[in-house]
Amino acid sequence: MIRTDLPAKVSGETLFGMDLGEPGMLWGALVLSPVAHGRLRGLGFAEARAMPGVEAVVGPEETDRLLAGHTGDPERPVFPRDVVAYRGQPLAAVAARTLAQARAAARAVRCEIDPLPIVPDIESVFPEWPGSGAGEHPSVIAHVRAAHGDLEAEFRAAEFVQSETYRTNGVAQVALEPHACLARVEAGRWLVRTSTQSPFSAREDISSILGVAEESVVVEGTWVGGGFGGKAGASVEPYALLLAASTGRPVKLALNYAEEFLIGRSTLPSVVHLESAVRGGRVTGRRARLLLDTGASLPGRDFATGYAIGFLLGPYRVDAFEVEGYAVRTNKPPFGPHRAPFAPQCAFMADSHMDGVARRLGVDPVAFRLVHAWAPGDRTPLGQVVGPFGMIECLQKAGALLATWRKEIPYGGGFGLGVGCGFWSTNAQAGGEAVVRLTPTELVIEQGEREIGSGSVVRGLPAVLERVLHVPAEVVRVSYSDTASAPFDSGVFGSRTVAGLGGAVEKAARGLSAELARRLGSTGVAHLSVDGGGLFATATGSRRPVEELLTPQEIGAGGLRVAGKHYGATGAIDDARVSAGSFYAYTDFTAAAHLALVHVDRETGAVKVLRYAAFHDAGVVIDPPTFRAQVEGGVVMGLGSSLTEETLWSPEGRLLNPSLLDYRIPTLGEVPPIEVHAVPGHLGAGPFGAKGLGEPPIIPVPAAVANAVADATGVRVYEMPLSAERVARALKLLPEGGEER
Amino acid sequence: MGFTLVAPERPEEACEILASAAPGQVAVLAGGTDLLLDLDSGRSHPDRVLSLRRLPWRSLQWNGPTLTIGSTLPLSEIEVDPVVRARIPGLWDAIHGVGSLQLRHRATLGGNLGRASPTSDLIPMLLALDASVEIVGVQGIRSVPVDEFVLASRSTALRVGELIASISIPEARPSAYVWQRVRPSNDISQVGVAVARASRAPFWRVALGGVTPRPVRLPEAERELRAERPLTPEVVRAAEAAATHAPFATDKRATETYRRQLVGVLVRRAIAMVSAPLDRPVGWA
Ligand SMILES: Cc1cc2nc3c(=O)[nH]c(=O)nc-3n(C[C@H](O)[C@H](O)[C@H](O)COP(=O)(O)OP(=O)(O)OC[C@H]3O[C@@H](n4cnc5c(N)ncnc54)[C@H](O)[C@@H]3O)c2cc1C
Repeated sequence: MIRTDLPAKVSGETLFGMDLGEPGMLWGALVLSPVAHGRLRGLGFAEARAMPGVEAVVGPEETDRLLAGHTGDPERPVFPRDVVAYRGQPLAAVAARTLAQARAAARAVRCEIDPLPIVPDIESVFPEWPGSGAGEHPSVIAHVRAAHGDLEAEFRAAEFVQSETYRTNGVAQVALEPHACLARVEAGRWLVRTSTQSPFSAREDISSILGVAEESVVVEGTWVGGGFGGKAGASVEPYALLLAASTGRPVKLALNYAEEFLIGRSTLPSVVHLESAVRGGRVTGRRARLLLDTGASLPGRDFATGYAIGFLLGPYRVDAFEVEGYAVRTNKPPFGPHRAPFAPQCAFMADSHMDGVARRLGVDPVAFRLVHAWAPGDRTPLGQVVGPFGMIECLQKAGALLATWRKEIPYGGGFGLGVGCGFWSTNAQAGGEAVVRLTPTELVIEQGEREIGSGSVVRGLPAVLERVLHVPAEVVRVSYSDTASAPFDSGVFGSRTVAGLGGAVEKAARGLSAELARRLGSTGVAHLSVDGGGLFATATGSRRPVEELLTPQEIGAGGLRVAGKHYGATGAIDDARVSAGSFYAYTDFTAAAHLALVHVDRETGAVKVLRYAAFHDAGVVIDPPTFRAQVEGGVVMGLGSSLTEETLWSPEGRLLNPSLLDYRIPTLGEVPPIEVHAVPGHLGAGPFGAKGLGEPPIIPVPAAVANAVADATGVRVYEMPLSAERVARALKLLPEGGEER
Repeated sequence: MGFTLVAPERPEEACEILASAAPGQVAVLAGGTDLLLDLDSGRSHPDRVLSLRRLPWRSLQWNGPTLTIGSTLPLSEIEVDPVVRARIPGLWDAIHGVGSLQLRHRATLGGNLGRASPTSDLIPMLLALDASVEIVGVQGIRSVPVDEFVLASRSTALRVGELIASISIPEARPSAYVWQRVRPSNDISQVGVAVARASRAPFWRVALGGVTPRPVRLPEAERELRAERPLTPEVVRAAEAAATHAPFATDKRATETYRRQLVGVLVRRAIAMVSAPLDRPVGWA
């Protein structure tokens, strides 16, 4: 049993944030804005305060009193004071003895808001593609631009120009466990147990939002019922802490599923224009323009626009380019990171576009991409050097399998094959520290994260340790604690857990190995083995029980501790190419190519994925079963956003489908057989040459599916997800001008 | 928000409990797959929940050509009956497509009719089979055709103190039910089409779900199908008539224009499945 967390999860014993509880605890509920934009005239609490079981109602004024003497981040007030920016924005919070009482009281809070005109979507701001000067538009909150080479010359010299507009829709993370926490305030300390992907960044956020010292905030992670980006940083914790401060009692605050959809920080729509100058069988010039709906705000808005837009150029060489992106503020809830933030959408657009150019040229789409794919040592359009990178090998393997599958499917009849590519950058420069503790009978990894479901903490970290010290899994344990006692780590996100925190574990383990070798009188490395319940250390010929190698003080202190740190390197882009905003240098490039076999019903547009294969440049695979599970999970999640998942918004800024009934993630019935292949040969910056794998598996999926649909039907769908209705429209089965939903 | 659960063994007792309660005071529980959502959302907040679990209504009986299905028999038990599947394939199609197997272990035909959802997959099939609903009440027993039983969403012909005891299908008919959903598994149909062929003229029944405030028969399409074994032009005309005359609406599951396209295609496919049963596609249409 290598996934030691699973038996308790299957039997239901595992306590997630949602399951937290303690004697004397109160329940919290949020008062959410009923309008998408308005001027807040006042909040009426009298009725709610008089309701049975209600212990506190906290709004902006109460917050001021509770936080007297503290100055929070003015950019992120706990509750808005004058302008409500989106429907669902928390305006106040209630604590009561039961959940039903808290929710009833939250409903009874009177919100006096004078509605203001709303900006529902990108199109209402820019019905046409914006000209120069759009950066000054009041709805534009970020503008990025980069260019290189003589693009106009490439367009003039082109044999043809492929010009396309793509659209993507919002997708939600759909972690099965909504955001949930239990807060206490004691002796000036802000204590919270919470379901989070990053206890330390949650601590930082709480400290900055409430304006309290970081040392006074203690975050303890719980088991996490899925994160997918939605549980990075703080979310419900500040509200729960305020209620706890107000009542002097522990307060549990958990979103229900409708709230989770609304304010769980999902991704929002985009419109993208892609244009390629094609000459001599190559794309020589590319223009990419992005309009991104960022909702009411976007944390790190330049970052998101500048980060996302890099993926629009794909993992492809180009002689001249220009990219420009605008973050457009709308009255939707704030945009949030969803597994590989915005990369699957960009890959869908960039790779549909490449596929389309290849088809127009009449050349094999895979061969066409091989002509352009980055090789190690190439420079990206932004001028960054691509390090070890297996795009070419992944593409070659996917292309070979495509040829085999092509022979096995009936010709025509609605079947189609497509390849999608994507790249990602392991966020390895975010920092991590870990301690390995050796006792006479076991090895304990002391670290600051919690398992979010992928296995990267519970299995990935031990696997690294096992490799260094040659110990069996049975004697390795991961320990968990809170931010007051655990070593710092930046979070389980950015595909960095094994590659980054695992690097810290590797260094600690190597330190331990060297120390044991020294104690055995050797200058080399030591290995551990198990014999009769005890651990033995071996180095060049000598072997002794660990018990004899530890000092009494060490044994008294719980074992020998060796610490390791991993702070990865940052890449560098060519700043001369950037003329507006900031772009992001990627680190530790990873590549993937996916292959999909689909069937398209040519009368209804319904798409069914019949077979699937994923090729990943994952460096060294640390734990094959976890690798496989991670890729399969990413593919399934990607199939959802390819075909059925999208958030639907009304013109009044209302989310129309905040439920698992109307927001459709795949069920097992929609999952095809999935082949998973690791493509070796390019070492990453992680332990033993591992590369991040948390996010890459979702990236190429929509592109692979869309290209397979184009192959099956000869028509292209320019909007994601490829719902049957959109495919039917592309197939011209529906009368022109028939309204969209 | 608590309630007490009562589970009488005799139908008269159950009807008494209902008849003596104020509206909304007692909620009726069969499989609970719809009711639990209502309890959870607060739409229904009864003092008592009347469970039908112990009532003698979990049977499936053939009486000559007529099939009578007890209202509380779980759908999965109808689904595994080989005779039902062979003799009324459309009923099997419709039932098999409901939710997931877990759901069908609990959901019942009585509950599906009781909820009277516009998107029911079973009501259109029951319409095409000319099924009727046997009702027991404090005032005795009566039988109502499904078409007159389902009035609108959440609205049926049941009177105070009445319950559905069983559903009767007068004869086994070659039949088919085809649907389209955004997600094939565990989703609500954008359009569902039920087709059945009776043993005597007029032969054809075509019914539609997922489109209108209540599932309906489509007489305009039925009229195009005169022959017991219609030829292609007749089938095409029937499909066109369905696509033209069915009352369509746009909602978050599909637009009106797309529903129109789907109805035309699915009516044609369902008639083909009934006419040439050996060509039935396996599984999802
Ligand atoms: C995940 C999910 C998927 C679903 N998928 C589908 C689908 O694909 N197709 C589809 O058609 N439906 C679907 N449904 C809806 C539902 O499951 C069905 O309508 C089911 O048949 C209801 O049966 P039940 O026994 O569970 O009803 P219950 O919830 O027990 O009752 C439903 C209503 O009927 C009343 N009622 C029940 N029995 C009787 C009776 N004997 N006499 C009088 N009144 C009665 C109850 O008072 C209640 O108002 C789905 C539901 C869920 C939750």
